[in-house]
Amino acid sequence: MSTSAVTLPPATTTGTTGRSGGRRRPRRWSAVVVYVVLVAIAVVYVYPFLIQVMTSFKTDADASNDPLALVPQTWTTAAYQRLFLHSDFPLWFRNSVIVTVAVTLGRVFLDSLAGYALARLRFRGRGLVFAGLVAIMAVPPVVLLIPKFLVIKQLGIYNTFAALIIPLLADAAGVFIMKGFFESIPPSVEEAARLDGAGAFRIWWSVVLPMAVPALITIVILSFQASWNELSHFIIASQDPDLVTLTKGVAQLASGALSAGNQYPLKLAAAAIMTIPVAVLFFVFQRRIMNVSSGAVKE
Amino acid sequence: MNRRTTRRRTIAALAGAAGILALTACSGGSGFSDSTSTAQATSTGGGSLRVLIGSSGDAETAAVKSAVADWAGTSGTDATVSVASDLNQELSQGFASGQPADVFYVSADAFQGYASNGSLLAYGDQLKAKDDFYPTLVDQFTYDGKLYCAPKDFSTLALIINTDDWSKAGLTDADVPTTWDQLTTVAKKLTTDGRKGLAFSGEYARVGAFMAQAGGTMTNDDGTQATVNSPENVAGLTYVRGLLNSGDAAYAATLGTGWGGEAFGTNKAAMTVEGNWITGAMTSDYPDVKYKVVPLPAGSGGKGTLQFTNCWGIAADSKNQGAAIALVEHLTSTDQQLAFSKAFGVMPSVQSAADGWKKLYPEMTAFIDSASFAQNTVNAKGASDVITDFNAQLEGLAKGDPQKILDSVQTNLQAVLDQDK
Amino acid sequence: MTSLSSAPGRAPAGTRTGPARRGSARGPSGRQGAAGWLFVSPTLLVLGLFLVIPVVMAAWVSVSDWTGRGSPFASGVSYVGAKNYAALLTGGGLATKDFGTSLRNNAYYVLLVVPLQTALALFLAVIVNRRLLRGRGAFRTAYYFPSVTSSVAITVLWLFLFSTSGVVNGVLAWFGVHGPNWFADPDGVLHLVLGSLGVDTAPAGLADHGLLGISWWDWLAGPSVAMSAFILMAVFTTSGTFMLLFLAALQNVSGEVEEAAVMDGTSGWQRFRFVTLPMLRPTVFTVVTLGLIGTWQVFDQIYTGTQGGPAKTTLTPAYLSYNTAFNNQQWGQGAAIAFLLFAIIVVVTALQRLATRDRAVPRRRRFRLADGTLAADAAGPGVQEGGRR
Repeated sequence: MSTSAVTLPPATTTGTTGRSGGRRRPRRWSAVVVYVVLVAIAVVYVYPFLIQVMTSFKTDADASNDPLALVPQTWTTAAYQRLFLHSDFPLWFRNSVIVTVAVTLGRVFLDSLAGYALARLRFRGRGLVFAGLVAIMAVPPVVLLIPKFLVIKQLGIYNTFAALIIPLLADAAGVFIMKGFFESIPPSVEEAARLDGAGAFRIWWSVVLPMAVPALITIVILSFQASWNELSHFIIASQDPDLVTLTKGVAQLASGALSAGNQYPLKLAAAAIMTIPVAVLFFVFQRRIMNVSSGAVKE
Repeated sequence: MNRRTTRRRTIAALAGAAGILALTACSGGSGFSDSTSTAQATSTGGGSLRVLIGSSGDAETAAVKSAVADWAGTSGTDATVSVASDLNQELSQGFASGQPADVFYVSADAFQGYASNGSLLAYGDQLKAKDDFYPTLVDQFTYDGKLYCAPKDFSTLALIINTDDWSKAGLTDADVPTTWDQLTTVAKKLTTDGRKGLAFSGEYARVGAFMAQAGGTMTNDDGTQATVNSPENVAGLTYVRGLLNSGDAAYAATLGTGWGGEAFGTNKAAMTVEGNWITGAMTSDYPDVKYKVVPLPAGSGGKGTLQFTNCWGIAADSKNQGAAIALVEHLTSTDQQLAFSKAFGVMPSVQSAADGWKKLYPEMTAFIDSASFAQNTVNAKGASDVITDFNAQLEGLAKGDPQKILDSVQTNLQAVLDQDK
Repeated sequence: MTSLSSAPGRAPAGTRTGPARRGSARGPSGRQGAAGWLFVSPTLLVLGLFLVIPVVMAAWVSVSDWTGRGSPFASGVSYVGAKNYAALLTGGGLATKDFGTSLRNNAYYVLLVVPLQTALALFLAVIVNRRLLRGRGAFRTAYYFPSVTSSVAITVLWLFLFSTSGVVNGVLAWFGVHGPNWFADPDGVLHLVLGSLGVDTAPAGLADHGLLGISWWDWLAGPSVAMSAFILMAVFTTSGTFMLLFLAALQNVSGEVEEAAVMDGTSGWQRFRFVTLPMLRPTVFTVVTLGLIGTWQVFDQIYTGTQGGPAKTTLTPAYLSYNTAFNNQQWGQGAAIAFLLFAIIVVVTALQRLATRDRAVPRRRRFRLADGTLAADAAGPGVQEGGRR
């Protein structure tokens, strides 16, 4: 066809649905349309959160009567006061922090251990373990709701932090990530250490682990997100009101625990605060999250 | 998936099975024996009591907490109160885990389930004030011939009317509806733009009152036959459907509210059908609304309403049942029950407190007077599922067929009753 | 939250994957062997205790009559065979109806969410991937942000946005549309559509017969309006994650192939259909698989939001399993529902693999570049093996 100029106008078409027409449209038009579409979609994605934060500063009546208005008629922090002073929200926050930190540290430790073993250590049955991990990942969590409760009960750890934390330490996906990373490290460094007489644990701790910081950070991000946002496990692991985490507490709020009536500012404030830690983590580690092609899946 | 992976999976599964046998062995001695507690001996080990309640609001929580604290002070046994966000779920989990609360609310519809699987202690005979309870309430909580738990209070449904809207519509005391036709007329007069004359939650616990007014019941007297699809019940549902389609009445959910009280308090409706608990909600959430309480009108079968009651259950697995019984006796004493009534409006379950209640609430006598023609809600074991399904079908009543709805509930309820025999 | 990665083989590019039977044929050295087992044992222990054993335990509970008190392995608990399963599948009572209702609700959810989220994620990825797009990072961030929030927080937000006089209905009012009661509206969408075409009641044949206690007419009700709000929520929150997967895959698409195709004067649409899409096949496959597995397990949102209402139209098998066991204390039946759901997921995933397995690309669909080579061939051997895993 045409031996067109070397530099082709990049924005000749949208390249997707052809919405902005064929390649004959001048560059600027289609570029503008593309931007408009993108911005419109971005607004749809971001606006709900904006409304959420703004509404949390409204009064109950204002939130119910005029939900579309972004700016509150009267600014009030009543919802936040109620949340922090008259409910168990600080306790929930504390519990979530405890569980999340423990699970994240635990997963980092266990996943890097297991990942290293699968990648570098030759032991009988390694293939079987690997296959087992794959098979286990296929079990849908919902099947485990009831039986995990039964096991936790049998082990006698029901209604303790142990029940909240320990079952979450199993993370086959994290093991695979670490395994993949360790396999990409040249073995020469480890060989050198081994020749010097270092044992497997020593090699792992002092030589390989420091080099694995990027992958470890990935695990930290994924683990933090997974345990902070976990709900169904916490429902079945305990019912002690002192062990309620943020997800469970806010879910209770949503079903109207703090007395009847629509208290939107209160619920939205709780949901907003709950989102802040993961959002901060997200913004700080954006690039790293974006580069991980395996990620957390929301049902 | 290739054969290799499948074989590995099998091996993994077998390894798991081996593991579980090992686990059984080591957990066998951990004391999870299957004792069913029909033993009359109560445990009197020391230790604090845990009380679990399903509260209707801040008023109830505060009242129960202070009553329990009083008792703990005088008796020397520590006791703490927790509010459940989902009482039945937390109770179930508690029983299954072997660590239930010691004292807790048991609703009438869940009662038989817990009584039959041995989760509850049958302490009714050990109560000193056993004969003071209303007989219908004792019936609700008797299983296998034994009174399992002390009724803690009860409420009936009545008609709540917004007095400002009432007078603005030109209505007087003489217009208070006593028949279905009058109710229809009054609802029409009270309907304006943006406000319905009557609103109530779309569930059996409210619509059932109309079925009772038509003269229908859900089961026969000894609870062995379901009588759901009787012509009387059909008449009751048909009347409700007429109300909904007339435009003068609506379900609370259709108006965007969570329950009848919210629709009433936010003036989306001028009247509602609710029970005693609405008084607490009105005082705390909608203090500016002036209202009066009148008995529900009589239908084609005479007067009728529903009554609701809970009891104080004591766990069979509780370690300090003696103290628990003492606590329950304190909580059901005449004075304490009147204190609860003052706090959140419920009616005492002991007959000796009836006069005291009428003196406290002269404007609410409609509630306690309705007790004479009130029907118990269905409490057969497994019936709560049937009621949930009934409620689901009631949501479509406006366009649905009452006979078909009741026929399906009849089938379901009969199946449940047959299983319980 | 589940943290699933795609099946092995989707780990970051550049690493080798697959079963570890490759490599050294030498036997394991003693010390390494011991160290190896030591290293994996904590993970295996936790996995075994809280994944393998529970599954076996649940299998036992589902064929026993355990009532919820004491241990399921105590002497009083007996084997009842397939009674629980029969009650769900053939019993015809309320249990069957509830199971059928939950299946129907979830089926529509899956049918709508998976294609929508895949298509939207693909669309966003392709647009955001364009060279010379300014602010690409900002757009990517905006589209991915909902995916990091917890389902509880998003459900709370959604309940607010979709309330009767809420934001969504307010926006619809600008266009003169009277929004429905969203989370309180149990009417099925298909029924509403049929109703507007004049078909108000069930045709005789459809109303009298049914499956699992639900008449065929009710099977055709479509998702309820309340369920539709959840569907929108699912698409909103997961499209970002899958967009990232597609972006990663798109970045692997050789730029030269695209330029060659552009040189040949193809339109953007043709380029997309015949060059980009085939090379994305493995990723599409992954996204659809993950989507199927995820959507069949929807639980958190139902627990937080509607608990199965209105009129049981947001009841899902996962929530039904939980409710049956924990609220109604019918543990055997709850476990049976969970295993039936497991079976459904396995079957659906297997069917999907079957349907998208690699087949020879039909002649007329091959896109030939100017020099006579196949576009697919130019992209590399990975394309032809797209469906084979």
